[in-house]
Amino acid sequence: MASLRDIRKHIASVKSIKQITYAMKMVAAARIKRAQASILAARPFAVEMDRLIADLYRELGEEDLSGTAARELFAERPAGGTLCLVLVTADKGLCGSFNTNLLKAATAWLKENRGRKICVVAVGRKGRDFLRRLKGLDLELKYELVGIFPKAGYVHAQLLTDTIINLYRTSPVESVTLIYNEFKSMMAQRIVTDRLLPLKSHIGGGAKERPAAADFAFEPGKKELLAALLPRHLGAQLYRTLLESQAAELAARMNAMESASKNASELIEGLTLKMNKTRQAMITTELNEIVGGSEALNG
Amino acid sequence: MGKNKLRLSIVTPEKTVLSDLPVDFVTLPAFGGEMGVLPGHASFVVQLKEGLMHYTEARHKEVFAVLNGFAEVHKDKVMVLAEAAEFAKEVDEERARQAYQKAKETLAIRGADLDLDEAGAALRRAAVRLKVAEFRRRHKLQ
Repeated sequence: MASLRDIRKHIASVKSIKQITYAMKMVAAARIKRAQASILAARPFAVEMDRLIADLYRELGEEDLSGTAARELFAERPAGGTLCLVLVTADKGLCGSFNTNLLKAATAWLKENRGRKICVVAVGRKGRDFLRRLKGLDLELKYELVGIFPKAGYVHAQLLTDTIINLYRTSPVESVTLIYNEFKSMMAQRIVTDRLLPLKSHIGGGAKERPAAADFAFEPGKKELLAALLPRHLGAQLYRTLLESQAAELAARMNAMESASKNASELIEGLTLKMNKTRQAMITTELNEIVGGSEALNG
Repeated sequence: MGKNKLRLSIVTPEKTVLSDLPVDFVTLPAFGGEMGVLPGHASFVVQLKEGLMHYTEARHKEVFAVLNGFAEVHKDKVMVLAEAAEFAKEVDEERARQAYQKAKETLAIRGADLDLDEAGAALRRAAVRLKVAEFRRRHKLQ
């Protein structure tokens, strides 16, 4: 049976762990507000951007587009080329099943495309480490972006976009897939597997009626404008992804740390009970011994 | 000046800087050169480069640093989509100067490195900020 001192030590250590988990929960709770606010702040830009692209795309005929840099991003490529995966994970652990689920989804995707040549862009330390550990696959880690959370900015999204577009232009990549965690609510996240490139041609398809094209003047030319706009669109999309993942990570961490704190409280309760019982038992034994001793003397 | 006003919105990925502010006059750092917009301007879409953007509202004049983006003018509505936009008064001159120096050094030291593009972009950004700060100073003196 554990001695009183051991139990006291155990309680003290659980208490200090509880303090840490509680502090982490509070930090996550404070940060998540800002993360949500930045998701909201990013929305108008993305909406306006999509509208502009939709307008431009409608005004340009197919023949206008062919051969331009913009066309390249829309065109389906012949099957059988390299596949590209963009995996967005967290940098740190202690956020419940957030990373585990992502890595599971990534593994499933990799299994599905077994035997293909795959290149990966990793965002977040956990994902990078996981991909580095993988053996026996035709896998190449092209680019990594670690240590950006919880301060992901548009700069990071831009870096990512430049890399991906560069990759897409220079090597025979068939398609680019994006795996990340979407922020649904404080309680729930959803893993999203989405195709990033080639672009779907109906960006912002449901745009409102616009005036005749002739009213608009373009500088420097529609094609160039579209070519310049598309990377930005991709950037805005990736930025949203990063923000969603960031918010989801914080939410997951908050929940995980809350349950950890709760468990610690329960553990402390149980241990305190055990400590009291042990102490009571000790007192009883001592009393018994004293009574026994005095009776022996008197008798 | 007529009663008509432009409605100016500036949106960046990180925040909405201005939305539907009534102004009299806007200049944009367009790709082919500075571009002035008054109420009643023809509709157009234009790509922006990093540079200064001014707007005048009654007597009040305001300067922005705008870094890359697009502008759309339609029916007296000016929509600026920029990767970053900063008020002149938000620009920290000292910091910009330091950033400028640092970017220059990085460019000088590193040869064919990955960070080259980034350093170049940082240099341009810092240069624009410095320009804004200088403009602000001159403006105050006048």
